[in-house]
Amino acid sequence: MAEQLLEQVRDAVEGQMDFEGQRLAEMMTTVMLGAAGIVAFFVGFMTQDIKLSLYIGLAGTALTFLAVVPPWPFYNKNPEGWLPPHSAISGIQIEVDGKQVG
Amino acid sequence: MHSTLVRVQNVFGFFTTVAFTVAAVIALSTFIHPQFPSATVQLRNVQIVRGRPNYYSYKKEEYAHIKFSLDTDLSTLFNWNTKQVFLYLKAVYPPNKAGQPHSEAIIWDAILPAASAPWHQNHYIHPDPRKSQSKNSKAKNKVKAKGKAAGLDSPYKRGELHLSDSNPKYRITDISGKLQNRTDVRLELGWNVQPWVGALTWANKNKYGVWEALEGGESDKFDFPSIGGKKKADDLATEKGQEGHRLEVGGDQPIKRGS
Repeated sequence: MAEQLLEQVRDAVEGQMDFEGQRLAEMMTTVMLGAAGIVAFFVGFMTQDIKLSLYIGLAGTALTFLAVVPPWPFYNKNPEGWLPPHSAISGIQIEVDGKQVG
Repeated sequence: MHSTLVRVQNVFGFFTTVAFTVAAVIALSTFIHPQFPSATVQLRNVQIVRGRPNYYSYKKEEYAHIKFSLDTDLSTLFNWNTKQVFLYLKAVYPPNKAGQPHSEAIIWDAILPAASAPWHQNHYIHPDPRKSQSKNSKAKNKVKAKGKAAGLDSPYKRGELHLSDSNPKYRITDISGKLQNRTDVRLELGWNVQPWVGALTWANKNKYGVWEALEGGESDKFDFPSIGGKKKADDLATEKGQEGHRLEVGGDQPIKRGS
């Protein structure tokens, strides 16, 4: 029971995502932060208000953290299937030092 | 990007890159903002008196008390990246011995805040023109309203100063202790533009791109007189400004003056 609970906690903290999810997260980081920077500069320049730039930049960064860091479900849409167990595959024999191990 | 910690590190790492890049672009953007500052500096009165550098000193030195009038239009120094402008008026005079550089001493200074700067007690408060000139009060009221509308402590718009016959903030002396009968002294206006991000810039004597050189900003040459008879103390007053807090000599606490 305690072990199961620990497992769940570890999963939540680690927040793993699949390979497609990782690619997506990388892309999201670049696009969102880049866009926040560009928008921050141009809006600030247009309104001649440097504080607005600062706040847009910080808000964009906060939003990026929120979107990328937690393992949202859409990052885990392409789970990698495990290989079937060895016993299910016939004809494969692994020998180590003359002894059969698999 | 497989785990939470790695993602936090990646996002923060790229955030620093973006922040630095935006800051660099902002710093560069000030160079496309046209500047055409102009100023007129005039000598009103100059007197030399003997005094001590401090109460306990046995050595007497000569001090120059320079009254001046100053009209500036530095409004173009204030762009979106300007935090404040430190404005100063210095007396420049040739050395006693040939081959040495000119001496420069600041007689008056002011901190002019930009709109984006938060209030600070040391920000310059422009003296009220109605107090010194009672005529033309209607016109002055109009400019006052203009300044107040912009949320300023000044009756004029940001960067505009009109001081007529102002006392200096500081009396100046020379390292030799001798100042009387010096010739070819002039007053020169200078400033630092302190940006939010980017480089500190000084008053420019030359044109750089869209930044015009300072127009005027220097007084005619004059001479320091010799020490005369008794001076009225009123003539030798220094102007501390209405900013309020200022560290006084001998005091460890800023003294609040006026309100």
